[in-house]
Amino acid sequence: MSSSLPGNLGSVSTTGGPNLQEYVLQGTILDQSAEALVHRLRALCDNVDQGLETFRDHEMVFALHTGGQTNNQVMLRARRSLDQADSPWQLRYLGQTDLSDKSRAVTVRSYLDALTSDTLPAFLNDIGFRLDHEFVAKGHMFRKGKMKVLVSKLFKFQKPNDLQNLEAMTSSRLVELSVVAPSGSENIADDMKVFAEQLKPLVSMDKV
Amino acid sequence: MGVTCVTQWPVAEGKSMQQTVDFLTKKAEFMGATKTGTFAVDCDTFHASAGNPKFINVLHNSEYPKTTFSITDSNSTLVSDTGFDAILQKLKGIYSTKMSSRIESKGKRYQLADFIVKVGIVSIGSSNRGILVEVEYTPCVILQDCWPLLTEFMQGFLGNGFVPKPPSNLVNKVDVYQPLDTINQYLEHFNQFRKAQVPTR
Repeated sequence: MSSSLPGNLGSVSTTGGPNLQEYVLQGTILDQSAEALVHRLRALCDNVDQGLETFRDHEMVFALHTGGQTNNQVMLRARRSLDQADSPWQLRYLGQTDLSDKSRAVTVRSYLDALTSDTLPAFLNDIGFRLDHEFVAKGHMFRKGKMKVLVSKLFKFQKPNDLQNLEAMTSSRLVELSVVAPSGSENIADDMKVFAEQLKPLVSMDKV
Repeated sequence: MGVTCVTQWPVAEGKSMQQTVDFLTKKAEFMGATKTGTFAVDCDTFHASAGNPKFINVLHNSEYPKTTFSITDSNSTLVSDTGFDAILQKLKGIYSTKMSSRIESKGKRYQLADFIVKVGIVSIGSSNRGILVEVEYTPCVILQDCWPLLTEFMQGFLGNGFVPKPPSNLVNKVDVYQPLDTINQYLEHFNQFRKAQVPTR
């Protein structure tokens, strides 16, 4: 298993390697301005020779309470491509936002992922996880060096498992700029900020 | 990848486990097999926190070094890349394992034409529990089409008295044989070794 879903925020397998962290900036843009942003990204990014890369992914977010005195909640995200039905599912674990350095310009959180068989939702249910929420993300993916930019429209389900009847959540699109890198790669945040500046005034990217 | 049969092999009368393994590997070499390295199949069992009987068996097979096979007590399965091992570590408060409970089969790997032969000693921690012999017939992925051939080869290797039965969960399998089917055979044997009395040798 080596391929990755285009819409996912990363695709690096982690065992035995360094601790990986995800560096993220997020913003939103109204639907009517999204086309201008896509044009801007086409001019700035690397992967535009073969036309625009699109994706349509289904993400299911599962939660499990740890019990005990703290009763924390662990969340795992299962994602699959709807456009490439035979591609593997992706399981992601995103840690809490690292607040140790408040001067940081971007959100930093620990990141783990694994590509899996299509038995993932049933397996998570069996080990005690329950579906918290699910959505479909549809949009464009761009790359600039190590950075990944997603411009996606989010849809919610009107009925469970009914992909034919989706309802747009908002009249905006989510814009995410992310890099998955070994922890301590602080210069990445500077690169991301510089890139985000180039998207102004169309979209203002910030940490969440 | 082809169809695989995994079987337990008794320790010969008056011999140690290692001597029995040496005898089998010498026999494979005598038949013309060439040593192609070593192999290992391991299994860690993650138990849910107190009061919950749930558990997950997490297995690795050196034949598929980037893959993790997970099988729960209620037989849900997940085949993933080894990134899943790190995600499991994040569930420490919910599922945990002890290194001392790891069971594994380790030994030498041989190739003889279209067959791969592996003879491994099964151990839990530092305690040896028995011998597992794995034979794979690589050109075929339909169990029913090659089981007689696999049986004939194993009888040539292990003796005419040996009659391997298709694993219970595979008897009626009509679709393609998967690496997970081999892992299920190992898990079945590992469970038997865990329940069995510790041998004196």
